[in-house]
Amino acid sequence: MFEDPRILWFIPGLPLLASVVTAFLGPRLLRDKSHWPCVLAVIASCALAIGVFASVSSGFQGLHTSYTWFQTGDVDIGVSLRVDGLTAVMLVTVTFIGSWIAIYSIGYMHGDPGYPRYFAEISLFVFAMTGLVLADNFVLLYAFWEGVGLCSYLLVGYYFAKPSAAAAARKAFLVTRLGDVGLLIGILLIYTALGPSLDYESVMPRGQHASPGVLCAVCLLLFTGAVGKSAQFPLHVWLPDAMEGPSPVSALIHAATMVTAGVYLVARCTPLFGFSPSAQLVVACIGGFTAFLAALIALTQTDLKRVLAYSTISQLGYMFLALGSGTSHEYLAGIAVAAAIFHLFTHAFFKALLFLAAGSVMHAMGGVIDMRRIGGLRKVMPTTHWTFLCGAGALSGFPIIFSGFWSKDEILAVAFKAGQPGSFANSIYILLFLLGLVTAGLTAFYTFRAYFLTFWGPERVPPEAGHHAHESPPVMLVPLMVLAAGAVFAGILLGPTGIFEHFLEVHWMQAAFPRLLPATEHHGNLPLMVASSLFALGGIGLAWWLYVRRPALAREMAQALPGAYELSKNKFYLDEIFAALVVRPLAGLAHFLRVFDQYIVDSFVDLTAHAPRWLGHLLRPVQNGLVQFYALLMVLGLAGFLLSVLMR
Amino acid sequence: MTPRTLINLTDNMSRDLPAFLPELVLCGAIVLMLLFRLFARFDQKHMGWVALVLTVYALIVSIVQWQGGIYDPRPVDVKSLELFSGMLVYDNLTIFLRMFLLAFAVLLIWLCLMTGIPDREDSADFFCLVLGATLGMSIMASANHLLMIFMGVEMASLPSYALAGFLKGRRQSSEAALKYVVYGGGAAGIMLYGISLLAGRFGTGYLPDVAAFMAANPLDPLVLLGTLFVLIGVGFKLAAVPFHFWCPDVFEGASAEVAAFLSVASKGAALAMLARIVLGLGGLAEPQFDPQVWERVAPYLVPVLAVFAAVTVTFGNLAAYTQTNLKRLLAYSTIAHAGFMMLGLATMTRDGVSAVLVYLIVYLFMNLGAFAVVAFLRNVTGSEDMRDFRGLIHRAPVLVVTLAVFLLSLLGLPPLAGFAAKFQIFSALFDAGRNYGSPGVGQPGLSGVMYALLVIGGLNTVLSLFYYLKPLKIMILDKPLEEVEDRPCEPLPIPWLPNLYAGFLAFVILAVGIFWGPLANAGGEAVNRFHAASAETGGVPVARGGQP
Repeated sequence: MFEDPRILWFIPGLPLLASVVTAFLGPRLLRDKSHWPCVLAVIASCALAIGVFASVSSGFQGLHTSYTWFQTGDVDIGVSLRVDGLTAVMLVTVTFIGSWIAIYSIGYMHGDPGYPRYFAEISLFVFAMTGLVLADNFVLLYAFWEGVGLCSYLLVGYYFAKPSAAAAARKAFLVTRLGDVGLLIGILLIYTALGPSLDYESVMPRGQHASPGVLCAVCLLLFTGAVGKSAQFPLHVWLPDAMEGPSPVSALIHAATMVTAGVYLVARCTPLFGFSPSAQLVVACIGGFTAFLAALIALTQTDLKRVLAYSTISQLGYMFLALGSGTSHEYLAGIAVAAAIFHLFTHAFFKALLFLAAGSVMHAMGGVIDMRRIGGLRKVMPTTHWTFLCGAGALSGFPIIFSGFWSKDEILAVAFKAGQPGSFANSIYILLFLLGLVTAGLTAFYTFRAYFLTFWGPERVPPEAGHHAHESPPVMLVPLMVLAAGAVFAGILLGPTGIFEHFLEVHWMQAAFPRLLPATEHHGNLPLMVASSLFALGGIGLAWWLYVRRPALAREMAQALPGAYELSKNKFYLDEIFAALVVRPLAGLAHFLRVFDQYIVDSFVDLTAHAPRWLGHLLRPVQNGLVQFYALLMVLGLAGFLLSVLMR
Repeated sequence: MTPRTLINLTDNMSRDLPAFLPELVLCGAIVLMLLFRLFARFDQKHMGWVALVLTVYALIVSIVQWQGGIYDPRPVDVKSLELFSGMLVYDNLTIFLRMFLLAFAVLLIWLCLMTGIPDREDSADFFCLVLGATLGMSIMASANHLLMIFMGVEMASLPSYALAGFLKGRRQSSEAALKYVVYGGGAAGIMLYGISLLAGRFGTGYLPDVAAFMAANPLDPLVLLGTLFVLIGVGFKLAAVPFHFWCPDVFEGASAEVAAFLSVASKGAALAMLARIVLGLGGLAEPQFDPQVWERVAPYLVPVLAVFAAVTVTFGNLAAYTQTNLKRLLAYSTIAHAGFMMLGLATMTRDGVSAVLVYLIVYLFMNLGAFAVVAFLRNVTGSEDMRDFRGLIHRAPVLVVTLAVFLLSLLGLPPLAGFAAKFQIFSALFDAGRNYGSPGVGQPGLSGVMYALLVIGGLNTVLSLFYYLKPLKIMILDKPLEEVEDRPCEPLPIPWLPNLYAGFLAFVILAVGIFWGPLANAGGEAVNRFHAASAETGGVPVARGGQP
């Protein structure tokens, strides 16, 4: 039944329907039952996505065009959906995690005055996100790309009465817009350089024949869009602020799905990136550097959700590091992309889990998430505690058991291979590999720092929690448990067995970029695994030592290294640097332009508005109501026409 | 009439009558409504229902014909039939335009039933006039003979004069009707003179023969004069500048329903006729596209149409600026839109004609919608002056929002249907400009004209922005009069059915704006199946023996 491509329409269609229904009926009719359309639609979408996934794995590749949206010249923009291996993986991830987060939200958002609005927007987001991965051409992709951006804006600013939330929403929207401009220019350049077409199918194969300079420009412009959406340096500043939204939103949009759209875009365009090594080097450098920088910042943050936000930025950096390491000369593209998508997949589970667990803590603590004011919660919230521990283990790459270990290890292996002597820019790749290894240690440290601060030590419950600091209701705990199971087992099932990689290779890569695939199989690298395990365990051990064993030591260290500590705590002053370098000059320019607009442009516009009116007044006496006069003009007009025709 | 034609006529009657069925149904409806008046039992019934039911039936027949169903008498491979020994032509274009006219008539009759114009007493007369005029327009759209052109124009015009003066006892209404009659009479005279020139020159009024003679002989002044006079007759129906003077006065004097009828159906039929003349004279209507004919006629016809169109669209938009009466404003807007559609015809390509057909359908919904809202508002407020509609959004939200959709669509803002329609016209102009400039066709002058028209069309769209937004600004942003005077601001008593009607039209506009593919295909089919044999040239003339 899933072989019919028309089924694809229901995957984004049902959430859209739910969104419309909730938006119109929610406030008056559904009220506190507003979650039903959203939950049902997303679960149905998920079921369909799994069905489609199953048929893809038995060889089905679907494409369905509903109609040509517009056609001008040689371009033919159709609303068409396509499914292949990559799309199927993304669809299942998005809808599966989305379903559990929607269920979780029932408990988390209970009693909120904007309850229907919340679920309408969540459904709309799922619609846009599934549309984004199903789109078959760049125009449609761009439309959904902006669609998820809009949903993100709406949901970050969900508590719009709060000034900080409104500011965060604006910041998120504007900063990602910066990247989107690059993406748009990139799409236009694709049309002129690789077109005239914007379908994936016709554009992608032309990458290898394009001139290197143009191809590099195309790739970098596309990557600009990814940098904005996936919060990479230097456009990462919006993501931590976006934590002003409700926690399930952070879990769904700012950890598991939307922020991975950039990774998806670069992975989708591997046939282009694969033939532009310099563009890939840029991708890898930005990714590796972002991973390291964000990890450094995360070391000292005191807000639990912000730690997680920086860890998201850092993990996304890992994915870009992998994508950038798939150099064509070494035939690494296949394993590089597989590693990135595998990490995307596992990360979606464990990061969503961590955010939901943090949300559960926040729910119980009356909205307080500052780790200096809470602590020792493992007795108060036992289920939240052990699910958080599963997520933390996965994030820090605890060896063998947890999924994060397997996916992160593959990324490091790719970077290491790209750094083999003799290949393109190998010294830089080796540096990036070492940076990745150090980052793995840092990740383990800050993750467990957050874990120990929150769940260990003396029990501290802030007064906002009231007298009933308690475990969350089952509707929130069940999603936590399901995602915890995913965070633990997804890695060991799919990682060492190579199922995931094989699936992507057979059902996507072989058709999309056969020339970038190696002839031989790839095998794991045992010494590397041991090294990354040591870094992870070292980080965890250090965190335990500093925050459980000798809690005073951490403070002493912070005082001993005031410069470094302040630097990290203040996020390397990047926000301030942006303010000085970008925002203030722009504000000055804006002020100038306002004056220019008010006095020069406006008067011009007024002129264009007034000129027709004056002309209109001039014409008015002509219509004076006298039939004789009309007849005269008609005869004159007739004579004019006759003369003009006969005189030529 | 020779005995031969008489035999032809009777021989083919069984084939021709089914093709003519929608018109026959309209005739039947008129007769039925008048007969009902004889019986006391039906005398007091509102005849709108009879008109509505039969018009819907005629529409269904047309739709079945469009799909090649049982009422379609054409053999499988024949795209075009001549009915009644060559008087009328029956092809996809005819069916398309009939569907357009009948669909419009259905919507208009529904509107009239809601607004109560006409009342029960006058209903039979009113709907007889409406259906009679529709019949005439349908004949205009399918005319294949100069005499039928004249007949059609007059059949459409005479009821229109009476409709314009239908609000008896209103001075403005009578004045409007009188102006319309005088003006229409003059135009008819000129047109008839042109027809007699052409018929005298060629010895026939049969359009394919006229076109063939024109193609075969050098164009002498007599022929040009005759053609021009016929075009002027069409220009009058279209309200093209400088033959538009009747239009604002008539629209202001007549009721909004009649204004809607005149602005949509009458102009649609006139455009259809113009399209037929353009295609016929341009050699585009032959079974095979004939570039020789096209090359001979186009240098004369294209500039005339281009100037006509450019002047009309610009004048209409400029004159609309100073209007405060909504109907008058819409009158100038319809003049501008007629000019816009003439831009499409000025390309003298089949793509241009198909763009105009798409535009017509879209124009039907948005213009009817705007006039319908005016009619609804007139019924509850008694005013048509936009200065009385300050802050109306608080009192009649649905009507104001739908009016916004209609006006923004008339303006051509995406994603509304008006944008799709304008886009088609612009794209036809652009393609024609590019094609005429190419070495294969080698008409750089015409190419320049096309690009100039493109610029003029774009500028006019900007111009129209200001006056379409003005009523919206007054209705939405201005404070209601009641609030200024500290009176309670109560919602207007508008029944749900008018709201539903306006909402339905607005929904169609939105839907067509997003899914314009099917409509564009239907427009292309109406023109291209019409000339199936030359479809491979893509609707744009190509050089003799050259590749497109």
